Amino acid sequence: MRNYLLKQKTFLLALALIFCATLVASAQSRTVTGTVMDPITGETVPGATVLVKGTTRGTATDLDGKFAIDLQAGDQILVVSFVGYLAQEIEIGNQTNITVNLEEDIQSLEEAVVIGYGTQDKKEITSAVVGVKPEDFNNGNVSNPAQLLQGKVAGLSITRAGGNPNNGFNIRLRGLSTFGANSSPLIVLDGVIGASIENVDPNDIQSIDVLKDGSAAAIYGARGSSGVILITTTKKSSKEGITNVAINSFATMDQATNLLDMLSPEEFVARGGTDFGSRTDWRDELISDAFSFTTNASVSGGFNNTNFLASVNYRDNNGIVNGVSNERLNTRINVSHGAMNNRLRMNLNVSNTSEDRNSINDAAFRYATIYNPTAPIFEDGADAERFGGYFQRSLTDFLNPVALANQQKFVNERKTSLVSYQVEFDILNNLTISAQYSKDNRNELVGNFWSREDFGIGFGARGSAQRITNDRRQQIFESTLRYDVDIADGLNMTLLGGIGLQTIKNQGFNARSRQFLFDQGWDNLGGGSIRVGNNTELSSYANEDQLNSIFGRANFNYQNTFFFSASVRAETYSGFGPNNQTGVFPAVSIGSDFTQIFDMGVLSQFKPRVSFGVTGNLPPSPTLAIGAFGNGNRVDLDNDPLTTDDLYVGIIQNSNPNRDLKWENKQELNFGIDFGIWNDKVTGSVDYYTRNISDLLFQVPVEAGTPNIFDPGRFNTVASTWVNLADLKAAGFEFAATVNAVKLGAVTWSPSANFTIYQKTTIERFSAGGLGFTELRYATPGSPGQNNDPIIYNRVGQTLGDIYAPILEGLTDGGEYILSTDNPDEWEKVGNGLPQGEFGIANSFMYNQWSLNFFFRGVWGHDIYNSYRGFYENGDASSNTWNSVVTDKTPTNPLVTSDPRYNSSYVEDASFIRLDNLELGYNFKTNLKNLGSLRAYFAAQNLFTITKYTGIDPEVRLTDSENGNALTSALSPGIERRSTYFQTRSFTVGVTLNFK
Amino acid sequence: MLKNISRILMVVATPILVSSCWELDQEVLDGVTQEQVDNSKNPVLIDVLKASAYSRIVGSWGGHNSIWSIYEVSSDEMAIPQKGADWQDGGLWLRMHRHQWLPSDEAFRNSYNYCFTAIGEINNLLVQYPDLEVLNAELSVLRSLVYLWLIDSFGNVPIVTQDALGANPKNNSRQEVFDFIEQSVLDNVALLSTESNKTTINFYTAHAILAKLYLNAEVYTGTARWADAEAAADVVISGPYSLSSNFFSNFATRNSGSTENILTLPYDENNAGGFNLVQMTLHYENQFTYDLQEQPWNGYASLEEFYNSFGDADVRKQSFIVGDQFSSTGARLLDVQAEANDPNGPPLTFTPRINELAPGALRQEGVRVGKYEFANGASSNLSNDYVLIRLGDMILTKAEAAFRQGKTAVALTAINQIRTRASVAPLTAVTLDALYNERGYEMFAEASRRTDQIRFGKWNQPWWEKGQSEPFRALFPIPLNIVNDNPNITQNPGY
Repeated sequence: MRNYLLKQKTFLLALALIFCATLVASAQSRTVTGTVMDPITGETVPGATVLVKGTTRGTATDLDGKFAIDLQAGDQILVVSFVGYLAQEIEIGNQTNITVNLEEDIQSLEEAVVIGYGTQDKKEITSAVVGVKPEDFNNGNVSNPAQLLQGKVAGLSITRAGGNPNNGFNIRLRGLSTFGANSSPLIVLDGVIGASIENVDPNDIQSIDVLKDGSAAAIYGARGSSGVILITTTKKSSKEGITNVAINSFATMDQATNLLDMLSPEEFVARGGTDFGSRTDWRDELISDAFSFTTNASVSGGFNNTNFLASVNYRDNNGIVNGVSNERLNTRINVSHGAMNNRLRMNLNVSNTSEDRNSINDAAFRYATIYNPTAPIFEDGADAERFGGYFQRSLTDFLNPVALANQQKFVNERKTSLVSYQVEFDILNNLTISAQYSKDNRNELVGNFWSREDFGIGFGARGSAQRITNDRRQQIFESTLRYDVDIADGLNMTLLGGIGLQTIKNQGFNARSRQFLFDQGWDNLGGGSIRVGNNTELSSYANEDQLNSIFGRANFNYQNTFFFSASVRAETYSGFGPNNQTGVFPAVSIGSDFTQIFDMGVLSQFKPRVSFGVTGNLPPSPTLAIGAFGNGNRVDLDNDPLTTDDLYVGIIQNSNPNRDLKWENKQELNFGIDFGIWNDKVTGSVDYYTRNISDLLFQVPVEAGTPNIFDPGRFNTVASTWVNLADLKAAGFEFAATVNAVKLGAVTWSPSANFTIYQKTTIERFSAGGLGFTELRYATPGSPGQNNDPIIYNRVGQTLGDIYAPILEGLTDGGEYILSTDNPDEWEKVGNGLPQGEFGIANSFMYNQWSLNFFFRGVWGHDIYNSYRGFYENGDASSNTWNSVVTDKTPTNPLVTSDPRYNSSYVEDASFIRLDNLELGYNFKTNLKNLGSLRAYFAAQNLFTITKYTGIDPEVRLTDSENGNALTSALSPGIERRSTYFQTRSFTVGVTLNFK
Repeated sequence: MLKNISRILMVVATPILVSSCWELDQEVLDGVTQEQVDNSKNPVLIDVLKASAYSRIVGSWGGHNSIWSIYEVSSDEMAIPQKGADWQDGGLWLRMHRHQWLPSDEAFRNSYNYCFTAIGEINNLLVQYPDLEVLNAELSVLRSLVYLWLIDSFGNVPIVTQDALGANPKNNSRQEVFDFIEQSVLDNVALLSTESNKTTINFYTAHAILAKLYLNAEVYTGTARWADAEAAADVVISGPYSLSSNFFSNFATRNSGSTENILTLPYDENNAGGFNLVQMTLHYENQFTYDLQEQPWNGYASLEEFYNSFGDADVRKQSFIVGDQFSSTGARLLDVQAEANDPNGPPLTFTPRINELAPGALRQEGVRVGKYEFANGASSNLSNDYVLIRLGDMILTKAEAAFRQGKTAVALTAINQIRTRASVAPLTAVTLDALYNERGYEMFAEASRRTDQIRFGKWNQPWWEKGQSEPFRALFPIPLNIVNDNPNITQNPGY
């Protein structure tokens, strides 16, 4: 070790001496000064090297990016270089003060890609992995990290219908590959598997890498089936030796947009609507423009072998409805330190987030749309007094939207903290041991309140309030050993081995009471006099699971031409059935860069690759295999309410035990080509994948009362059992390409595009053991009158999530439906809620200090059941109660006079193109010593959408918001529910400052 | 260097080896495991477990979309008219009324699962406690009660006992199911308690099961068993029960003291929810009549013809809610959304006439089901115990069984006992029609009408908004998903 250190010192000393000598030797003639700039950020570049071409004479820029160099006769050209930028040659001529604009070397920045347990040179990667850097992130008011990637990665679908700031995003990688288990990708935050995404503010993210195929994700074994998203937070300031203070502050205005056209009060009355004598625009009463503010501040820097980042992120987002808001404060400290000459490296990441979510009952959106426009908001009289003066009538599905929004309240206070310690030690130069311990805590405190005057629930319950806490603690310890060796000439091998231990504990408590004398809410549940029965609750829950893993990976690189990787992970999970405790998940991948072998003309890279990997999914709850008994009815043994010593809670099974229950298994084969053209001016990749999912985890309907074949000797006491079911098949094609910095005069243009074509998931079989079934139907349109027939059929041999309907063959002269059938078994397939394809097109323009980015996102080939039309478009008897929607697709001649009945005409093609994102920025030139950069920007989100869909939002609905069962909601995609939060359009102005 | 590596590999390998040997044990923190149940010494455990088996039967009987719903709506005593968009519900309840139902109709699946869920629970307990003779006897008879519903509704269902093996059981014929029910009761009845306990199976409920089985034997097997029916009913009548002088006390919110009820489902607002009749039948505005906690659904109503068949003097005519409706404070209720063609206008008035079944049934038309008391301030879950078997039914069973054997005097005495209690004039002579009608008055809303209509040969005849139905409609179809998913199940003929 000492030897090694000495060598380096000697070398540095020698270098310094040579340097000084050259400087001394050239201490005559004229001097030229200058500044080195990064034109994109507008910042100066300190530490850049400025050399006189063909000599060893040169200097480095100072903290302000300035340099001065003495010239000798014959010096013609300066060469300016800095890590991460393309070297630039400047003709000196007669200039005495030169401004050098360095151009980013995009290729070099993209070199390292984060993969599981380490990084890899991009050229070595043989599986489908995509890295996204901050400059490619979406702009505007982005508060959720997922939103940064929306439309940016082929095959990654990120959706949120409506503009509710409290709603998370649905994330799907390469379509639906599971439904009983977790269908969102696994988040790995700074190496912490399964960390809550709330732990990271978008502002602190340095890179996001998406492991798309089974081979890349297989290193995460039984948690990798839905893909993996690796988020890396900023570790250090981009320039060593400088402390950087960055402040980013913006204000956003949200407006409701794309409100459905409804009848005016006069038209409503003309159609037979009951006239209550007033004129009220309910949506106008409910919504208003919302203003939100965000400030991020961070201090980062580095000295010696220590780097740090401390950041504070405050976001105050308000919804377009009073009562909807999301306020969040996130703080983060990242410290890394290298000791023992940087052979011992320690990383500490601490983040803490508190978030307050305030919500209303989303049914207010529905009532604001369809409530009688002649009703007043308030009225006088004793009847109305019961409801706080609000106008209410006892009709089904008829609640005053303004009252509803004001008289029910829901808060959710979340506190999350993530602490991660990592230590790495180079035992040898090429042998590194690493250990990481992390603890992720999330606590939710929920308060729900229904006023005594709330006609929906509170009035009947005489006021009700509820408190819920949910607490989740995850601890992970992982240790790896990495060994890097050249085994033969030109053949490099990297070996990785590791173990991982994880425990998660979930617990919570829930209490609700009713019949209050005063509206005291959740702060005094004891004020409610009734604590059992309807609208009350007293319960708690807890579960804990363990997951132990061993894993290994080997990567080979032969002369930067042939690449091979193989990995395996074995996992033992406490929630698997006793007969199947350990799953093994192997992967292999291979690729070769043909440009290293042949001269391929304009192609600078052409790397075909093939990969195969097996990943899994865990059961959604750890006790499903056991089939534990839960709480049944309260049993009064003598049926005499006056005696209570004989009152017990019975026990019942919620699902039948399954001793064989195991992980889900997904096998994925991926063919891909990474390419570069014209010296990587254009780069991109194409991928084709095919996946086969077997042992799918799902709660299947079984014949109650029959023997339980998964627990011999016992009987099914419920009509459902969690089983491993087979099989699903899916495939897809992905394309992504970027053109790097095309010069159009003074304008630099960087376009990029990606698209995905899905071969939708088909159901090969629905069977397990001797059990089998042919279809699963889900999701009825709902009340009133459309409660019984589910509209999404999942049938063997067909695609998942098919929408079935009776065909509307026409209308009679009197405007009555002519439907193909009354029998739901004879309905026909009329659509599918999952998309056939998605694309994103980004354009970035740079002109002097100006920058302009805009981003189009499109989805095609998905259908949506438009439930507003399905319920409120006909001129039927109930159009006297509810206002009617008028869309481009509404039949008007004749108007439909039948009572609304679900049929094919309400299932609409919802393909769309949306200008998701636009940002215009300006970098001010600064002369202040400490102000590195000053940038102002204007951004707009959701500027316009082109679609034929006539509902609220054509966005893909991956899940059904009204399917209360989180596990089956993925099987009923493509339904726009009436309580959908309105779409919003946002405008943001902001300023970014960097001090140093 | 090689030495170093091997040393390090050992350090790393040790925990790997250790970890691969770890046996993870999944603890159940918020539930009870089978092991805990097996090892428990708590003396009340068995009673509570037994109650769990009963609670499956209490379950969804009294809710919408239940076995009660298919019995009532398919008969001529109740309907769910479609009021515009409301209650269209895919036409399920219209099909149910018109005898055009489909095997895929959800209500059949619910009913079938309801029955077999209870059977699974019972079988598990029989497996678990093979040595407790009395408990086994009681549970076996409870299972027979469930099979009595199954033989009546679906007919050819699989017989699944504690000895069954393997998934995908086969159909049994209706005759086999009949024999199984009869044998289970006969084998176990001697061990049953003779004390009156309205919430569990006793000696008399076992005989009541036999009485009902024998009364319908001709329908179930082709062979009449009238004498056996009468004998079984006689055993029940000899038991510790007497007719309540007040007919409606049997259906009151606090009806557990009824001397007439033999077996009830002990619903309770707080302890055992699921009896939702108040929601199912009342009009939205009736929330203010009873100060209900939730707004009712304006669904189930009785048929005009059935209502009018009741004599005005008959106290049982109060089983219907009819006429002007008021709030709890006496104010006239208004339905502001009353249809323009409603002759009564907004003041809420339940009329016996219903203009049509669908699509434009008027919101206020149809008399409502008021046999069970609706307590002031009730929630959607009523506290009334639902009456499964009561003495009145047994007396009428006796009357009918006797009459069909030609014992007209015995029949006359029995039927007049029921009529007298209802304040209607005694009959001087019994006819089959009189027996049929009397059962209609007495057993309204007790899920009896369908079985009676089939037995009396009225089932296929047309009535309001229903045409002649095919003969195979006397059995409901086995639910489509069961037929599709179990290769050993054959659908009932005709479907």
